Amino acid sequence: MSSWGSGLLDGLRVTWRNLTRRSVTAQYPDAMPVLPPRSRGVIALIEENCTVCMLCARECPAWCIYIDSHKEVVPPVEEGARERSRNVLDQFDIDFSLCMYCSICIEACPFDALHWSPEFEYAEYDIRDLTHDKDRLRDWMWTVPVPPALDPAAEEPKEVVAARKAADVKDTAPPGQEPKA
Amino acid sequence: MTEQRIVGLGAGATGFRSYERGGGDELATEDMVLNIGPQHPATHGVLRLKLTLDGERIVACEPIVGYMHRGVEKLFEVRDYRQIIVLANRHDWLSAFSSELGVVLAVERMLGMEVPVRATWSRTLLAELNRVLNHLMFLGSYPLEIGAITPIFYAFRERETIQQVMEELSGGRMHYMFNRVGGLKEDLPAGWLDRAGAAVAAVRRRLPEIRQIILGNEIFKARTQDVGQLSPELVQAYGVSGPIARASGVDFDLRRDEPYLAYDELAADGVLRVVTRDEGDCYARFSVLFDQVQVSLDLADACIEQLRSLPAGPINQRLPKILKAPEGATYCWTENPLGMNGYYLVSRGEKTPWRLKLRSASFNNIAVLPEVLGGCVVADMVAILGSMFFVVGDIDK
Repeated sequence: MSSWGSGLLDGLRVTWRNLTRRSVTAQYPDAMPVLPPRSRGVIALIEENCTVCMLCARECPAWCIYIDSHKEVVPPVEEGARERSRNVLDQFDIDFSLCMYCSICIEACPFDALHWSPEFEYAEYDIRDLTHDKDRLRDWMWTVPVPPALDPAAEEPKEVVAARKAADVKDTAPPGQEPKA
Repeated sequence: MTEQRIVGLGAGATGFRSYERGGGDELATEDMVLNIGPQHPATHGVLRLKLTLDGERIVACEPIVGYMHRGVEKLFEVRDYRQIIVLANRHDWLSAFSSELGVVLAVERMLGMEVPVRATWSRTLLAELNRVLNHLMFLGSYPLEIGAITPIFYAFRERETIQQVMEELSGGRMHYMFNRVGGLKEDLPAGWLDRAGAAVAAVRRRLPEIRQIILGNEIFKARTQDVGQLSPELVQAYGVSGPIARASGVDFDLRRDEPYLAYDELAADGVLRVVTRDEGDCYARFSVLFDQVQVSLDLADACIEQLRSLPAGPINQRLPKILKAPEGATYCWTENPLGMNGYYLVSRGEKTPWRLKLRSASFNNIAVLPEVLGGCVVADMVAILGSMFFVVGDIDK
């Protein structure tokens, strides 16, 4: 076989060509990766939005959300109205050692209290520290990016539709009778 | 007195030339049992092979599976159809999207649900990108297993290119969790189709490098050609499917033979070609994988083109708060990158399935190993094992 070795040489040619190219290695701790906004890094919580409805904890397939709350009585807003009771969040923990990063809790939340953040640097030496409490989850909120714009052929996000509807109602209502926000 | 044992290259060495044999035919031999795995660098994952050796020859091979059994079918029964997707994309972690797809297709069929056309084409696109990712993994790892370390760097560079667009779309790099009953979780981000097209083009441009570096390599050919031949009869007897079956000349591909998603249109357009080989050896299996990547890239391009021209519309269906599949049963199979992946869904009208049986490709593909390995030499074991392209999670479920 006269051509024996030509395949080897072909391969070497590829490596030689690649030798002259820029390397694609990510220099991670020195250069941070640019992650897309939908990236599932860590779950952030807006405590103010949470009504302790427990949907996230119930829907979670790994049962890694721990919620505790108590009821508080709010004095009536107007004279003669009755007192209201309100849920106050005491504990909201997510155990990231159990979390499967499926984003069901975020979808399940009816009040947009949970969000994904692409932040990923929260490795710990102790597994117990992977359980983030509500303050730590609240802090992640600062890293939550704006959701990406959608494809032109996509339906409008429901938030945009709802906002436009509200604005239209406001515009068409006679002065002095704007609906309360 | 201890009994003197002579274990050497004896009867097992027949067929070798003298310099390979070390000993002679006349030497007495004794069978030896050799465990490969469950933790062994030559097997990916925790597959254990119990080999009985006569000298260098493998007399018998018994794959012992189940080290990674997670009881996924039982877990399915206590989860609703959204939670099942979380588990479904984990049994075969290299074909997460395709595995999710089977579940939602089964539920949609039970519900008689029409999926928006944009969702169908996006799913087809993502399933093909997932196939490329899966095949690139094996195009890199198989040469690595038999000693060629360079291709995996190129394969991973290509994987990264595609993973980036997948991550931008779904937020995940392996477990996409992007299918929902009735469509996809979210719509495509603006400009994503351009970036996906660019990624496909970049992979297509650099793919010949993988061919040049490994497919023509004489050492690689010597290790794989005429090694581990799998006959079409064995393929049918054991229910082997996917690229491995097609490398043995079994021309069967669910994308063409029982089309789901948009594959019937793609097959009619001639974009979907089914790659087959007749040799049935390790080299054929590897080259089927390589050609399938190119077909998948063509399919991805066709899907991107189609998605651009589709009118604006939704990408998913509004679902009720509690989704219940009506009473009944259905079997939904899809052509996963590694072979046929089937879900047999039995529902009694609850929000969880009564039974969801999973037929995974790797289990059947690995079941044929004893037939292929019997009579081979130990040195070929790794070459054959690697060419069966399996994921241990897919075997053990």
